[in-house]
Order: sequence, then structure tokens, then C-alpha cells
Amino acid sequence: MTLACAVALGGCARVDVHAPNVRGIAYIRMDDVMKHHPLYPQLKQLEESIAAINLEATLPHAPLSPAEIAAQTKDLNAQFKAAEDRTSKTIADLRQSYAQKEHDADVAAAKAAGVDPAAIGIGAAMTAQSQAQAQAAAQAAAKDYLAYQQSVVAQDTAAQNAIAKQLSLQAEQKLRARAEQYQQDENDLSLRLAQQDAAQRLSLKMKLNNLALDPSSRKSVQSRLSAIDKKEADQVNAMRARHRAALQAYQAQVTKETNAEIQKQTAAIRSESAAKLNARREQVGSQLRSLGAPPVPSRNIPPDLAAQLGKIHQQIAAQFQTDAQKAISEFNATRDDLNRQFQALHGADVGATGAAAQELTDLQKRHDQLQTQMQTQIHDEAVRIAGGMGFTVVLDNVQAAPGGYDLTNDLIHDVESLHE
Amino acid sequence: MKKRLISFLVAAVAAVAFVAPSAIAADLTDVGYIDQAQLASLPVFQSANAQLAQYQAQMQQRYSGLVKNAKTAADKQRLVMQYQQAMSDKQREVIGPIYARTQMAIANVADAKKLSIVVDKRIVVYGGQDITKDVISLVTSPKAIAPPSATPPTSEIGFVDQSALDDAQKVKDAATQLQQYQQSEQKIYADKLKSAKTDVDKQQIIADFNKTMQDKKDALLTPLINQTKAVTATIAKSKNLLLVVDRADVVYGGTDITQDVQNALSK
Repeated sequence: MTLACAVALGGCARVDVHAPNVRGIAYIRMDDVMKHHPLYPQLKQLEESIAAINLEATLPHAPLSPAEIAAQTKDLNAQFKAAEDRTSKTIADLRQSYAQKEHDADVAAAKAAGVDPAAIGIGAAMTAQSQAQAQAAAQAAAKDYLAYQQSVVAQDTAAQNAIAKQLSLQAEQKLRARAEQYQQDENDLSLRLAQQDAAQRLSLKMKLNNLALDPSSRKSVQSRLSAIDKKEADQVNAMRARHRAALQAYQAQVTKETNAEIQKQTAAIRSESAAKLNARREQVGSQLRSLGAPPVPSRNIPPDLAAQLGKIHQQIAAQFQTDAQKAISEFNATRDDLNRQFQALHGADVGATGAAAQELTDLQKRHDQLQTQMQTQIHDEAVRIAGGMGFTVVLDNVQAAPGGYDLTNDLIHDVESLHE
Repeated sequence: MKKRLISFLVAAVAAVAFVAPSAIAADLTDVGYIDQAQLASLPVFQSANAQLAQYQAQMQQRYSGLVKNAKTAADKQRLVMQYQQAMSDKQREVIGPIYARTQMAIANVADAKKLSIVVDKRIVVYGGQDITKDVISLVTSPKAIAPPSATPPTSEIGFVDQSALDDAQKVKDAATQLQQYQQSEQKIYADKLKSAKTDVDKQQIIADFNKTMQDKKDALLTPLINQTKAVTATIAKSKNLLLVVDRADVVYGGTDITQDVQNALSK
């Protein structure tokens, strides 16, 4: 690098910094120097990555068809139902298992205290405790039902909107395609007519170019030329009018079909929603109905044993609560994830844009940091060279330079050797 | 002896003639610069900007409701214009006096330091006189700032209003054409990108897109840019200017050649 600088400065030394057309002033073309910086390939790569995201963002997102939306919604709902069933079964199993554990512990405690478990109704107590747990679970299920209801309504509204939007978009595309086709036909006709009449038109125009043509002949030729123009315009206009009428009819037909399809699809969604809510209501109802008989009052139990039984109950209930909560948390996580997937399904564009936008921001940040780093390095080198050569001022972003000294090449030479 | 003396005199005259231009035309030392970003961070500017932002938020809320309820497009247009006028008036009211005081301070300092031009710091790579501190000190002082004793001396650094030059019809037409071309090419290349299977394919498509756009720019805009630069250089030379910068980078002084360039380009 030292050698390179020496060569660079040696080369620069030939410049008369104080010459009348320089007067101690120089300029640099930063953009050109940047291109020779050793880090420029990295900067360019970042720029290309940014360009790629921007280019991809211009792509029309491939929208899902109503059938695809419906199929994926169905799949998500099935997963949701499976998660619910899994959780219900886990909690029921836990309830059964802990009830049995409590029962066994109570029996063991009663026997240890010299008391007949049946005589103090331990089995009934177990049932009562089990019922209390079941009731709590059923209340939670009822609460969950409300949340489920709201979620179903919100999801179905989103699904209906997405389907209506999608079908409207398809209708627009159909109309646009038809209009473009008509436009193309009109252009083709116009071109065909112009080609048909080309020879005649040329011949008439050549006649018009004849300066010796008498006024009446000129007028006749002009009127024949106008007649050709009119004949062509009439034919194209007639086709255009036919197309306009056909397009209007087609628009009415497409709108009618689209509205009917939207109604059909939204009705299907509403019906599915009602079925889902009914099923859930039935499920909650059966849970509430399965609570069983009211708790059996406890018999006379010795105080020590009663205290011990109470302790056992608290321990078992706490353990049950912990395990049940774990199962519920897992269910909630699954439910949230499915909800996110559902939202992504109906707002896939937004999701993709969000992720792409984040990547774009990151890339832009890295790009700006690298650019600043390179500019600072170039700036420092420019200061060093300019000081060494004896300039008084060096400017960047110059629009024109009839005078002054262009320091760009000296700087490029220096910057290229930065990482040698 | 006489011959030697004549030879010496001839040599001396030749030497004087050779070095004279350098000796007569001294190096430029009358170029100053100011850090406008630092100036904008002064509490007085910050507070004015905050005031303006608050006003803007109020106006936006008020006018967005009005625009929403407007019955015709003409009504909407009228409301938008009203909003813009209100913002412009407020800006003049809030920022105007501070801006005027700052301009006066810059002129004062430039005059005291005999500067012919003051540019923004961002275009100064080396040298020049930094007057930022002096200007800040004057702006923040409680004293009234007197106008400078003289107008700035003629500067050998000129400037052109690039935005005015870009406003020429043929430049606008070329820019519009380029924009339309970009939109159509974006569709084509976006489709290609969609069907690309590997990252290498994607990179190639992006490179092709960039090249296509660059080629079009070279065909449409570059000739106009080069023409403008050439005309600017010719006029600058005829006016004995050394360099020409963009008006956006000039804070005070300088020699404005925008009109001359516009006239020459319109011929």
C-alpha cells in the first residue's frame, strides 16, 4: 500500500495545484470511487438482494381459490377439533388417575388410623372431589365455548370477506381479459383495413403530391381519400359499438354469476359455522350433564384423620391442577398457532409482505452501514491525498467542472490498493 | 556582457511570464461551509418543528374527517388545497422568523470572513472554512442580527438549480417513459423470478433486470444528462467559474447560472 501511495502521490506531484485553472480546488466523483472500493462487490450484492425483494413485491401474489381457502380452513378446523379432543381426553384421564390416587391414599390413611374406609364414606368423598374437579373443568369448557364462538364468528367473517374479494377479483380479471381481447380485435381490424387500402391510399396521396393537379381533381382525390378513412373508421367504430354492448352484457352476466357464487359460498360458511357451534354446544352440554350425583355428606371422621384426608386432598388437587394446567397451556399454544395459520390463510399477502418488509429493512440497514463505512474510508483517503498535494478545498457532488482538478482517479488508485 | 544581460532579461521575462498566472491567480480560500444538520438540531429549531408537527397532527385529523365526508371530487380537492395552504401558512409563521434569523447570521459571518460562497458540509471533502460554530453562536445570542455590510463577492464557484433543470419537459418526458418501461419490465422479470428454481437463477434474473434498466436509462436519460453537463460546463467556463455545484448544496453566495443553462438548453 505504501508503494501504491507513493506511486499515486508521485503521479499527483505532476499536477500544478496552483495553476490558474485549478487554484487549489479539486473535486471527486464519489460514485465512481465507490465502484473501485474493495467492498463494492458486497455493497452491490446487498443492492441486488434489495432489488430482488422489491421486484418480487411487484409480483401479483398468487391468490388462493375459494375452494383452496375452504379446504385449508376445513383442515385447520379439523386440527383444532383434534387438539380439543386430545386435551379433553388428557384432562379426563388425569382426573380419573388423580381421583384414584386420592382414593388409594385416603383408604391407606383410614386403615392406618384403624378406621374402616367404607364406614366413613371415603369412596363417596372421592366422588365428590372428583365431581368438584369435573365441575371446574366443565365451567372452564363453558367459558372456552364463548371464546370459541367469538373466534368462529371472526374467522368466518374473514373467510367470507376473503372469498368475496377473491371472486370479485376473478370477475375483474375476466372482464379485463374480455376487454383486452376486444381491443385487440379492434386493433387487428384497423390494421387489416389499413393494409387493404394501403395501395389505393398511397396512389391517392401520390396524386395529391402532384403540384400540377388542378383544384377540382385535387378535391376529388381528397374526397376519395377521406372516403377511405371514413369507411375504415366506420367499420372499426361499428365493431367497437358491438364490443361495447357485448362487454356490458358480459359484465352484467359476470356480476350476476359472481354475486350468486359469493352468496352460495358465504351461505355454506355460515352453515358450517352453525354446525360447528352446535357441535361444541352439545359437547359442553354433555360435559355439564356428566357431572353426576351431588356430593355425599361425610360421616363422623376422627379429627386427626379428617386433617390428614384434607392434606391428601390438597396435595392431590394441587398435582392435578399442575398437570391439567400443563395440558391446557399446550392446548392454548396449539390453538394460537392454528389461529395464526388461519389469519395467514385469509391475509396471506399481508403476512408475506410483513416478512419481506422485515428482510428489506434489515438489508437496507446493512447496506447503509456498509456504504457509510466505505464513504468514510474514501473520505479519509481523499483528505490525506488532498493535504499531501496542497489543495485548499475538495468538493463532492459537482455538476460541472470547467476548472479545478479531478482527484477521482488518484483516489481510485489509492482506494483500490486499500486491501492489498 | 550586454548580450549576457539581454539573455538574462529575456530569461527573466520568460520566467515571469511562465509563473505569472500562478502568482496572479491565488488559490481559492473564500469557500465556507456549514453543518446544516447541526443547525437543525438547535433547540429553537427542534421546538419549532415539534410545534409544526403538533399542528400538522391536528390539521390531519380535522381534514381527514372533512375529506371523508366530502361529496364530490372537487370538494375533496378544495379541502386538500385548504389543508396545504394552512400548513404552508403555519410553517411560514413558525419556522419563517427562525429561518430568516439564521440566514442573516450566515450572511453576517460569511461577510466578516469574506467568503464568496457557503456550502453544506456534506459536499466538502477537504478544506474550506467551517463557520458552523460562529453561526450557531450568533443565532442563539439574544442580540438582533444586523444585515451584512455588503453582498457576497463574486464567486468562482457557480451553482445550478438541478431541480429546475430536471423540470424541463424533455427531461420529464424521458423520466416518465423510463418509469413506464420499468413498470412493464418489472412484471416480466417478476414472473421470471417466480419461476426461478435456484438462487443462482434468481441472481441472474436480477442482474438481467438491472442491465435492462441501465440500458434504457442510458438510452433515454444519459444523453440528456450529458447534454446538460456539457452546456453547464461551457457556460461556467465562459463566466470564468472553476466548479459548478447543485443549488441544493449552496447555503449562501455563489454564482447562479441556472437561467443561462436553461436558455442554452432550450435553443
